[in-house]
Amino acid sequence: MTASEVSYNRKIISEDLSNVEFDTSEDVEVIPTFDSMGLRDELLRGIYTYGFEKPSAIQQRSILPIVKGRDVIAQAQSGTGKTATFSISILQSLDTTLRETQVLILSPTRELATQIQKVILALGDFMNVQCHACIGGTNLGEDIRKLDYGQHVVSGTPGRVFDMIRRRVLRTRSIKMLVLDEADEMLNKGFKEQIYDVYRYLPPATQVVLISATLPHEILEMTSKFMTDPIRILVKRDELTLEGIKQFFVAVEREEWKFDTLCDLYDTLTITQAVIFCNTKRKVDWLTQKMQEANFTVSSMHGDMPQKERDNIMKEFRSGQSRVLITTDVWARGIDVQQVSLVINYDLPNNRELYIHRIGRSGRFGRKGVAINFVKSDDIRILRDIEQYYSTQIDEMPMNVADLI
Amino acid sequence: MNDSGTKKILFNKSTLFSLKAELLRKQEEVKEKRQQPQHKLENFKPPPAKDKSLERDAKKGYKKTFKDSLNAVDTEELEACRKAKVALEKKAELYEHLADGAGNSQLASRFLVDFNTKKQQEAEKKPEEPIPHESENNASEDDGDEWTEFTDCLGRTRKCHKSDIAMFLKRDMDLMRAINKDKVVSNEEPETKPEEPPTVEKEKPLLVQTTNEYLQSLRDKWEQKEKELLAKDKDIHYQDLLFDEARIHGVGYFSFSTDEAERQKQMEALLKQREETLKAQKEAEQVRKKRDEMIAARVAAARARQRARAGLPPEEPKENQKDFTTCLLEFLTQQKNEADAKAKEKENKLKEEQEKERQKLREAYVREWDIGKEGVDGKVKKFREMTQEEYVEQQRDKRIKEFAPPQTSTSGNSSIFDDKGNKVDSKETAATKTWADVRPRVSTPPPPEIGELTDITQNKGLYFSSSKNNDGPSKNFKYRNFVKAQEPTPIVDELEDTDAVADDTRREKRKLDSGSVEVPPPPTFEYYGPTIKQTKFEKPFESDIREAYSQGAKSLETKSSGRQLPKHYDFTFD
Repeated sequence: MTASEVSYNRKIISEDLSNVEFDTSEDVEVIPTFDSMGLRDELLRGIYTYGFEKPSAIQQRSILPIVKGRDVIAQAQSGTGKTATFSISILQSLDTTLRETQVLILSPTRELATQIQKVILALGDFMNVQCHACIGGTNLGEDIRKLDYGQHVVSGTPGRVFDMIRRRVLRTRSIKMLVLDEADEMLNKGFKEQIYDVYRYLPPATQVVLISATLPHEILEMTSKFMTDPIRILVKRDELTLEGIKQFFVAVEREEWKFDTLCDLYDTLTITQAVIFCNTKRKVDWLTQKMQEANFTVSSMHGDMPQKERDNIMKEFRSGQSRVLITTDVWARGIDVQQVSLVINYDLPNNRELYIHRIGRSGRFGRKGVAINFVKSDDIRILRDIEQYYSTQIDEMPMNVADLI
Repeated sequence: MNDSGTKKILFNKSTLFSLKAELLRKQEEVKEKRQQPQHKLENFKPPPAKDKSLERDAKKGYKKTFKDSLNAVDTEELEACRKAKVALEKKAELYEHLADGAGNSQLASRFLVDFNTKKQQEAEKKPEEPIPHESENNASEDDGDEWTEFTDCLGRTRKCHKSDIAMFLKRDMDLMRAINKDKVVSNEEPETKPEEPPTVEKEKPLLVQTTNEYLQSLRDKWEQKEKELLAKDKDIHYQDLLFDEARIHGVGYFSFSTDEAERQKQMEALLKQREETLKAQKEAEQVRKKRDEMIAARVAAARARQRARAGLPPEEPKENQKDFTTCLLEFLTQQKNEADAKAKEKENKLKEEQEKERQKLREAYVREWDIGKEGVDGKVKKFREMTQEEYVEQQRDKRIKEFAPPQTSTSGNSSIFDDKGNKVDSKETAATKTWADVRPRVSTPPPPEIGELTDITQNKGLYFSSSKNNDGPSKNFKYRNFVKAQEPTPIVDELEDTDAVADDTRREKRKLDSGSVEVPPPPTFEYYGPTIKQTKFEKPFESDIREAYSQGAKSLETKSSGRQLPKHYDFTFD
């Protein structure tokens, strides 16, 4: 009995799925070009002007099932065009003459929600699509006004979106698709309740699309609660790391030496753009201050900053005005800045999934990237575990690392 | 120097050429250098004025010492100086004379410099010679005559007539303004306060400051844009949100205006252009086609002429030229294509059917998180009743007639059973005669409740087989809505329940137990004969046959597609 059959029967009899291996669905059609996907003309133009020429593997497989209205669970390596995948599908299935919210996209961070809004607007530039970023930290009144204006698509974070639904500002009766970007994060303990709350307001049997680079087993197990016979497009974990992102480590004996190493690397950092990850907000603040005291130009961002400041930092970094960003895991998932080619894990991430997401901030859409992990002697074990888990290679950093960027 | 006259210069054509080449190269070099950015006016940075003042101090000091030393210089040195001066004056006179056009004189031929062209070139250059610029009058008039010196904004020391100084000063101002268009006004101040130079200390923070200022101005700009965006009551577009993002777009990217009306115009223009492009493409294609046709016709005509000249009969049209093998091949491929298309159609149909079934199931499926929502509860109930009845119906429809329960030969009425041999006792089947109708009327107990899965497995029907049971719990749901056996029948021995005889005895036993009145089944061969046994074993076999068929078909297909014989070897009619 194949896995897909198992999942099929699961609908009738719920059984223990912890031992079931989930696999990519059979009969997933592969469509090699955007032209042959049967997309609308205006959308095609949006796609090409945005810079896509040939669909990536995930785009070749997932767009059609989503457009057909099937529930889809899509997994693909970081920076391979997942956001564009569901954006294209959404734009294809929209009725732009109907000025009501038809699609709801939920993502874990405000920056990501804004970025998705931008992608939707870019791809739909010739379609006159309206997309609103419904995120916390912004003016409620403005949010209400924008929603009242009529938005085809709403991209937001769960808290504010739920608030808007409860206030009946965001009407759900026309919503026909719910997209959970970074789905594993969204269905994790922290967010699951909020997702459930939002889901309860949606029409029954709404199309659901899950997207992420990492989809742990326990997430796949629970999908039957809100999805119907989903099509799965999955990636085996030993194929999850990208060839284009070279991974290295620098062994340091003591925590304090990390700072010196970072200073030594500063020249390399500024070749293009770099992101430095710490595990706590306090450490971000500390490191930023220390770097600035040493006369290095860096900027920093974390969740405790006021939204206005976060926005400004993002804009500066996106425009290339700042080149080195010290941040927390708020930046780990989904954020796409083309010029980032170097990621530094000042601290190792707390779980394996985050490692994939963090290093995925570099090497966007086929570009080269380098990830450097700072490890103390007792961290090496963790790093080796990550290396083994994803069947990847993390070598000691060579002297010529600048050549690889 | 005197030797130059006697020195014999050997030259031939090649040395001349190389000389000329060298000359051109040098000229080219000069031109190039002039084009270089560091030599351009816009890029010129005035030297820090601090250096200037330092220099001046140094100069002052130097002058002083020079004067002092002058007093100490003896007459011998003065004499040498005078001699050198005289020599230089002579030389200058000679050069002037040469350049003055007397160049044709014998004298000129003695020198390697072509003073004629030199003069011409200089004349050409003169008009574009940099116009003197000023900055401040240094008032360094040494002899108090009408000539005055001043330093222009580029730090050059210039000399000019006193009457012209106002004009030059003005010019220099203009130049400086042109250079420092976006620089701070303070730089222009040297005119009024010539001796006060901007300090170096001031300059360095200025750099940092400007970057900060730049960032600040960017932030202000974004803030402004954000405000506009919030105030905007119209549609929001990609360009509104870009905020100077450094992103590489596709080649066809066009940055629309953020102004709605302007954007509309641009969009229209773009559309129009696109249509024109499409039209032009189409036209070009047509033209090409026409031309190709014409060429083909001309070639054909030429060949015909040639043949006529050679006395050959005119060529037959191409269509009739096909020989037998090509005809055959064509026929074969056509046949094959047809067969393929048919097979594909069949497959598609099958897939479609399967998809339809799955779609039905999907529609019937209720998500856990949906329970309690409006319109879902009804669906839940509907699902439980409908699909089960449908399932029975569907199974019955699927059953091949041959394997249906036997018809009584006496009445001719068919009795309806479900898979397990229990009488189907539902409203739908009430219209047709059932097993109960055939039996004499006795007080039958009311139809039982729909049992649980576990109950059903205990109360096996007539056609129960243990092999089905082995399929596992996943298939048990099929039995959910079947009617319970009328009264519990003791299980004899499930494990031995493999051959038909045991089954038969059990059935007999059950009948004996259940019926208060015994009605012997019709003693026909169909009833007692091997039919039952067949039904029992035929069922799995039926599916096997289908599978085997499809397997065979598949393997045949792959075989045929994999075969890549050269076409002329392939004479199969498939």
